[in-house]
Amino acid sequence: MRGIRGISQLSRRLYAAQAARKVDFAAAGEPLKFVPQEVQVTKLPSGLVIASLENYSPASRIGVLVRAGSRYETTDNLGVTHLLRLAASLTTKGASAFRICRGVEAVGGSLSVSSSRETMSYTVDCLRDHIDTVMEYLINVTTAPEFRAWEVSDLTGRVNLDKKLAKQTPQIGVIEDLHAAAYKNALSNSLYCPDFKIGQITTEQMHTFVQNNFTSARMALVGLGVDHDMLKQVGEQFLNIRSGAGTVGSKALYRGGEVRHQTGAGLVHALVAIEGASATSAEATAFSVLQHVLGAGPRVKRGSSSTSTLTQAISKVTALPFDASAFNANYTDSGLFGLYTICQANAVNDVIKAAVGQVNAIAQGNLAAADLSKAKNQLTADYLMSIESSEGLMDVIGTHVLSEGTYHTPEAVTQKINAVSSADVVNVAKKFMSGKKTMASSGNLVNTPFVDEI
Amino acid sequence: MAARAPVAASGRFVDVFRKWYYNACGFNKLGLMRDDTIDEGSDVKEAVRRLPEPLYNERVFRLKRAMDLSMKHQILPKDQWTKFEQDVKYLEPYLQEVIRERKEKEEWDKK
Repeated sequence: MRGIRGISQLSRRLYAAQAARKVDFAAAGEPLKFVPQEVQVTKLPSGLVIASLENYSPASRIGVLVRAGSRYETTDNLGVTHLLRLAASLTTKGASAFRICRGVEAVGGSLSVSSSRETMSYTVDCLRDHIDTVMEYLINVTTAPEFRAWEVSDLTGRVNLDKKLAKQTPQIGVIEDLHAAAYKNALSNSLYCPDFKIGQITTEQMHTFVQNNFTSARMALVGLGVDHDMLKQVGEQFLNIRSGAGTVGSKALYRGGEVRHQTGAGLVHALVAIEGASATSAEATAFSVLQHVLGAGPRVKRGSSSTSTLTQAISKVTALPFDASAFNANYTDSGLFGLYTICQANAVNDVIKAAVGQVNAIAQGNLAAADLSKAKNQLTADYLMSIESSEGLMDVIGTHVLSEGTYHTPEAVTQKINAVSSADVVNVAKKFMSGKKTMASSGNLVNTPFVDEI
Repeated sequence: MAARAPVAASGRFVDVFRKWYYNACGFNKLGLMRDDTIDEGSDVKEAVRRLPEPLYNERVFRLKRAMDLSMKHQILPKDQWTKFEQDVKYLEPYLQEVIRERKEKEEWDKK
């Protein structure tokens, strides 16, 4: 039957020898059909969550995400996650640092690690044929690190380098300061190793941190372009090393406060924030919409963000150049929402007052329907575009399955965005006006208002 | 069983020889251990770098004392000589690891 069908196709294509040969080849096997797949999520009895999406891409991406970010550090081991981030490619029980590096390079893959306040994620990229090779290194790195004292002490230089680089970006400093001022514990921990801890963190501390935090119940194995059953098998076999929930992190306690950092720079970076919504709360989407109403950065490269309401309000009070955007960070049990402004030292007072005034206007109910729908469009587009890239999708799946154990489809998320009403946005704007404020500023602070003056 | 006895006997003989040879080398009279005397090539240098601090400090102390004695053309009083039984191969595991790593690199470079 198959042969006959092949012949009939051949006769149709006889005028093009190349095409005919292709048809012949295709007819030899079953025609390939790529049925679009859904994200599959499995939760193992140990608590390990395995999520994967078969996207038929020739390049695969696999990540191990662990709820072990800087918020789980204690005063004794502050900065340990920074060191862990750098120690990702050190010698493990199964493969030496050298072999990991060369092995990943040899198949054209890449192994990367990043950490946030809540999650550490180890990710590998590779061509589909090399999944096994690269997966071995990923498993070694996440489950069997050795942290040899001499290799770890060699990292001190890189810790310093990281800190120096971060210092060149005032934005990083302001956001770190904001967290330090906003919280009493947990989320106040910096992503960077504090100065007094550089070179002081022992390998035992690193081992203890991994032992207590890298447990199956706090891990997620996420794969894109891999077979779910294969991933499940890997998870069952290799990532079931430490059961239980490990040490329980403390709940983040918001306090509100201020950190001012006077530097020689001419500009002032200032961030005024309140305790926003946690990632799972009902208000989270409303805060995101408000962020886009106010302006979440320029939409046109090198263009002005003149459509953002913050920019419109501030340009009425100053002719000097400035930049303003809304800041929104959601964590599992808390969040921060604020206004980030960069401007000349002598205009700060006006700029911040105008920015806060704009939120106040929204809180009074002055929210144009056009602005709201524009913000929703932007938010929806941002979200959908972010899950187009494998990095973005991995991130989204990882965050969802780690915090809730399920994956929210893009349909569900966009529906949530569409459901946000004008009243919801006004409500969260009111929250911003009444909430206890936190402020972090850096630069020439001579004219910068204090948090109680806002 | 019968075949084992000569082996054990020769083992004993080897031990006696080793002990004699250890004392004949003479470095123990300067208070050194065997691992202090390995030629400091790049492998040994790396292994020494990896030593935990107490072991490293003891090594440096023994070497300094030996240099001092050597300069003065003296040896330690006999009760302070390193005994064969007390000699610990403290550097050996680190050195083996360094050599293993170097071999691994050479293997990869051959490919």
